[in-house]
Amino acid sequence: MELEDLKELIEILRETDITEIQVEKDGTKIKIKREKLLAPFDMTSHKSATCQDKGVPEPSEETQRLVTITSPIVGTFYRAPSPDANPFAEVGMKVSKGQVLCTVEAMKLMNEIESDVDGVIVKILVENSQPVEYGEPLFLIEPV
Amino acid sequence: MNCETIKKKVRGEIGKKILFYQNTGSTNTLVLGLADSSAEGLVIIADSQNKGKGRLGRTWWSPPEKNIYMSILLKPHIEHSEVTLITLMSAVACTTAIRKTTGLNATIKWPNDLIVSDKKIGGILTELKLKDKRITHAVVGIGINVNSGRTQLPEDIRETATSIKIEKGSAVSRERLISATLNEIDRWYAILKNGGKHILLEEWQGLSSTLGKKVTVVIGNRTLFGAAESVDGEGRLILRLASGKVEKIHSGDLTVLR
Repeated sequence: MELEDLKELIEILRETDITEIQVEKDGTKIKIKREKLLAPFDMTSHKSATCQDKGVPEPSEETQRLVTITSPIVGTFYRAPSPDANPFAEVGMKVSKGQVLCTVEAMKLMNEIESDVDGVIVKILVENSQPVEYGEPLFLIEPV
Repeated sequence: MNCETIKKKVRGEIGKKILFYQNTGSTNTLVLGLADSSAEGLVIIADSQNKGKGRLGRTWWSPPEKNIYMSILLKPHIEHSEVTLITLMSAVACTTAIRKTTGLNATIKWPNDLIVSDKKIGGILTELKLKDKRITHAVVGIGINVNSGRTQLPEDIRETATSIKIEKGSAVSRERLISATLNEIDRWYAILKNGGKHILLEEWQGLSSTLGKKVTVVIGNRTLFGAAESVDGEGRLILRLASGKVEKIHSGDLTVLR
């Protein structure tokens, strides 16, 4: 299910009197429901639905155990101390509390982000040299 | 370098305690190491550095007996969204100190490069530590090319860098420029802490040689071209692209086009 398909479904809902659409495609089930005429659209996805093919984890007991490291400032995310250097952290790497995971830069203000826990890096959520917002998740770490 | 001369001229809290090293790796690294156990205003000066820090792992050229390499410890109680104002504050302070001490028309290239005659005369790199979303400290590292001659500059920066001696035609006292810089930081830091954000932004704009110019900005593997229109309340650059689209830039390598 592509984002464009979703947008099209929402458009159909917006332009008609229909209050609920349910679509099933390639094992992905989507339900879009409108509670009241003027209320914002409520996009409810069934379990094992919507974005699974994009690799976003389902909120499960497993993911709830993971610690999310977020960006404390708005800036640019760097995985390595310099463009030629090895990244601070890789998926599968064991890290200890206080270990530097990345740098976020805003206007020549360099901010080294450290791990909050001892654990293993499960996922790196941002590409190198991409802009990040305040509070944006950067790493998922499984505590040990 | 005579630290006593500097100490006598320092008027405020910034530079009340100064440590001097003949040679070190990086003054920023030293201050970062002492930050937890030191009071705000600690200054470390080195005559030379082996690993002077530049942006993104670049090194800052730091030969002995000629220039200024120093780092200042700040512990600001400001919102995380306003940390970038420290960058603007230090640029305003250094530019003002260079102007007052040397008479040169120093300006600022966004966000905080110190410029004379379209060439870089100094740079500032700040390293920030946060805990639980609060700033614990910021270390402001300042490098200014003071008494290096043209032929002493490394070849790879000879076209883009300059020094106070080259521009003025005579040497100036490093001690005088350091004490003037510390006093200006003391003054502008107090303005920033006392809610004078708008005074600071206005001063920065008045000293900037970037606004109103056509520029390129390299951000990672992206290059943007446009007109540097203004800065927002946090100092981010408002860039108007050829398409008319406006981008807010918070980091990148900026070149002013002539």
